[in-house]
Amino acid sequence: MLFVVSKVYKMEFSKEPNFDMLTAKDFTPEKYVKKLSQNYVGGSELQNLRRKIKSLSEETSSNLKKNVYENYVQFIETAKEISHLESEMYQLSYLLSEQKSLLSALSTTSILEDMQPINIDRDNKLNEKDFEEENKQKLAAILEKVEGCKELLEVPGRTFLYEGDLLEIDPTENTSLKTVHVYLFTDGFMITNRNSNSRGLMKYVYEIMYDLSSLAVVNVRDLGNVKHAFKLLIFPDTRVFQCSSNSNKKEWLDKFDQAKKTRLAQEQQKRESITEKSPSRSASIESPTYNPFEEDMGTIHPEWFLDIPEELDVCVAQRHFEEALSLLQKAKDYINQTASSSEKHDHVLIDIQRKVEQRQNSLTEVLMKELEVNPDKSLQGGLRAARRAVRLLNQLGRETQSCNLFLKLCSSMLRTQCKRVKREGSTTTYIRHLSSVVFTNMCHMSDEFLRAFPDSPACASAYVVWASNELLQFTTHLIKQVFMPQTSLATITECIILVRTQCERLYGYGIDLCYQLDGALRSSLMKALRDARDKLIDSIKLRALDDKWIPMNLHSKSSLGRCIQEHAQMGLNLESYVSGDTWLQLTASTLSFTKMFLSLLNDCMKLKTTELMYTIDETLYNVFEAQIRHNENALRTELNQEQRTFLTKNAEFLLVNLIEVAQKKYKENVGYECQTLQKLRKEYVALQKGVSPTSRSTKTKYSSEFI
Amino acid sequence: MAKKLAVQPSLHKVIMVGSGGVGKSALTLQFMYDEFVEDYEPTKADSYRKKILLDGEDVQIDILDTAGQEDYAAIRDNYFRSGEGFLCIFSITEDESFQATQEFREQILRVKNDENIPFLLVGNKCDLEDKRKVSLQEANDRAKQWGVPYVETSAKTREHVDKVFYDLMREIRARKMDENKTNNGRGKDKSKKKKHCCLFMCC
Repeated sequence: MLFVVSKVYKMEFSKEPNFDMLTAKDFTPEKYVKKLSQNYVGGSELQNLRRKIKSLSEETSSNLKKNVYENYVQFIETAKEISHLESEMYQLSYLLSEQKSLLSALSTTSILEDMQPINIDRDNKLNEKDFEEENKQKLAAILEKVEGCKELLEVPGRTFLYEGDLLEIDPTENTSLKTVHVYLFTDGFMITNRNSNSRGLMKYVYEIMYDLSSLAVVNVRDLGNVKHAFKLLIFPDTRVFQCSSNSNKKEWLDKFDQAKKTRLAQEQQKRESITEKSPSRSASIESPTYNPFEEDMGTIHPEWFLDIPEELDVCVAQRHFEEALSLLQKAKDYINQTASSSEKHDHVLIDIQRKVEQRQNSLTEVLMKELEVNPDKSLQGGLRAARRAVRLLNQLGRETQSCNLFLKLCSSMLRTQCKRVKREGSTTTYIRHLSSVVFTNMCHMSDEFLRAFPDSPACASAYVVWASNELLQFTTHLIKQVFMPQTSLATITECIILVRTQCERLYGYGIDLCYQLDGALRSSLMKALRDARDKLIDSIKLRALDDKWIPMNLHSKSSLGRCIQEHAQMGLNLESYVSGDTWLQLTASTLSFTKMFLSLLNDCMKLKTTELMYTIDETLYNVFEAQIRHNENALRTELNQEQRTFLTKNAEFLLVNLIEVAQKKYKENVGYECQTLQKLRKEYVALQKGVSPTSRSTKTKYSSEFI
Repeated sequence: MAKKLAVQPSLHKVIMVGSGGVGKSALTLQFMYDEFVEDYEPTKADSYRKKILLDGEDVQIDILDTAGQEDYAAIRDNYFRSGEGFLCIFSITEDESFQATQEFREQILRVKNDENIPFLLVGNKCDLEDKRKVSLQEANDRAKQWGVPYVETSAKTREHVDKVFYDLMREIRARKMDENKTNNGRGKDKSKKKKHCCLFMCC
């Protein structure tokens, strides 16, 4: 179809197709094709044209490809360039931040320097603040002019004194070497050279700074043709400088002199402010007989002495503590001896003395670390492992610290040991085990302590305080474990007795903690006694309820015999109460009370302490009275004569026989008879005769008097 | 150094030590300029140089006239370190100045670390025989003990002034020749000591 159309328009088309035409603004493909088909006639021509257009399009596309490729290469190059620039920017920003921190550091240094005390010699000329300000400015100016002297501001109190150009002379050949620009400060002499590639402010390059205290200045009076010169001796260098004129040289020498004097004054001031022994130096300056070597006399020390700080380091590092200690002692002896033999100030000696003191401190620290309680450290070695450190610390005169650490170590060991004791079996077993562990350890520790600190009252008192603290902890634990409502008085008594006997072991070391133990346990014991009393009274009341008041039938002769024997062991003769083959003229309740009361009395006697006597007496009275009351009540209601006699007999047995036995036992333990039981006996004496006391209701209850 | 020696006459460095007021400067000035200065002014530290003929050889003498009083030990050490030979001066009219020589001697030996350093004990002011406090015997004994020569001088009358300087320079020259032959033992000593120190540092 197109082919036909183009054929039709073929004739009208005259122009060759080209870029200009195709890229023209008003070019539209429809119009163009129309034109072509109008102008050209004939297939071959159109074919020709088509070929041309095709080649054109091919050329264009190849051009396009080329362009894209070129652009792409350029793009890559640009990207590379950009990343390069980026890294450069990073570098720049890093440099800038570095510069910034440097500047801020400098500004803080100069601020610090503001606070430094300054040269006192010149105070009379300028008031201090002005001078300080001037000096600061001057130093800043030097800093700007001289390259590479950043540390100029790092010395506090440095003050500028003088500057100038000098000509340096070869010391052997007397020929001029170079022109230098030099600065004199209160503490040093700075030499700078001309900056050859100077651009801007940095006119000079820093060469060297000599410390004034080792700078020997020599006035060169005669050096052939070299005039106005002075010499500096700084081993191994000798430097000769020529001044511009004689007055200039004089100025320089004067300034050096002034600087040295200022330095001396400052140093002396410093030394005095440290309140060290002032050297004889200042005094000797005035005295004409001053000998410049005096102070150096002491500097000839034996080599071992000079090496001592290093030796000590080695010993401590290798944990040869004994060796370190003996070295320390040796050094100290030497220092004392030297110090007393010559009153001169000796820098070497003082320096070493200070170093030795440092080493001593570090040794102490190491040793204290040894003793410190550390969860990671095993306590396997026990106290014996601590012996060495404790002994050395004592020798270093650190008894208090070592004592403290030792006791802390003991505490932690004790705690570990206690933790190992497991709560197994009965309370008694546990307490037996625990108290044995605690007190055995304490005995052992006392032993070790006495060995470590034999003659130190301060340490001994520290030990007593420690022991009492440990005991307090132990008793707190004990009370929690033992005094529980379900624990019987008998068990408690047993435990307490165990602990007491253990505690008495410490007597051997001169430590009596029993009083403290009793004190700590008192309130708990009182409560335990009262609880026991209440329990017993309750059981008496219970038994009273089903008391039939009949004699006891033991059913067989042998059991009767056993019963009689049993009571005889308690000190009670029951023979007179036997009737028939198997009968006892006492009630079962009376007999069980007898047994119970005697065991209570037994416990009480075991627990007795002076402080507990009152509670014990009260307990005994209350329990006994409860039983007697029961008898009395029965007597009051019983009218049968035979029964009354039986009741009276029971009461008599309790009031006479039992109380007698109880009193005997009480007296044995306490030394006198129990007053409350005596009183009880008196109060109920009528009961023995079968008379129920009529005044009963008016009589006040005993216990209420006490409570 | 060797190259320089070939060009320049050899230089001998002499140091004057001694208490204040014994005449160190007076001796120096007498030797240098043949004049006697009567007024006393304490010296700080002066140096002089002179070309002289020593046994037919041109040499230079460098004299360091030290201060009797110097405040810094380190500075004094620097003076002494620069010296090759020492004239240790005292005044025969002042016993204290004689006693002080002992300490100067010890200091020099310590700084130079050399028992055989060229050294002369000089008793000055021998013209004031009537005011003598230090006997010739005493001074001779001390010099003998140290193994150094003892010479009495007078800066005023110029008696023995040249002698002490020339004697000392001869000793220095002899010693330098010795040292040129056998290598300096001191340097070895020092390195040994340093090694020892290093060992300490290592452990």
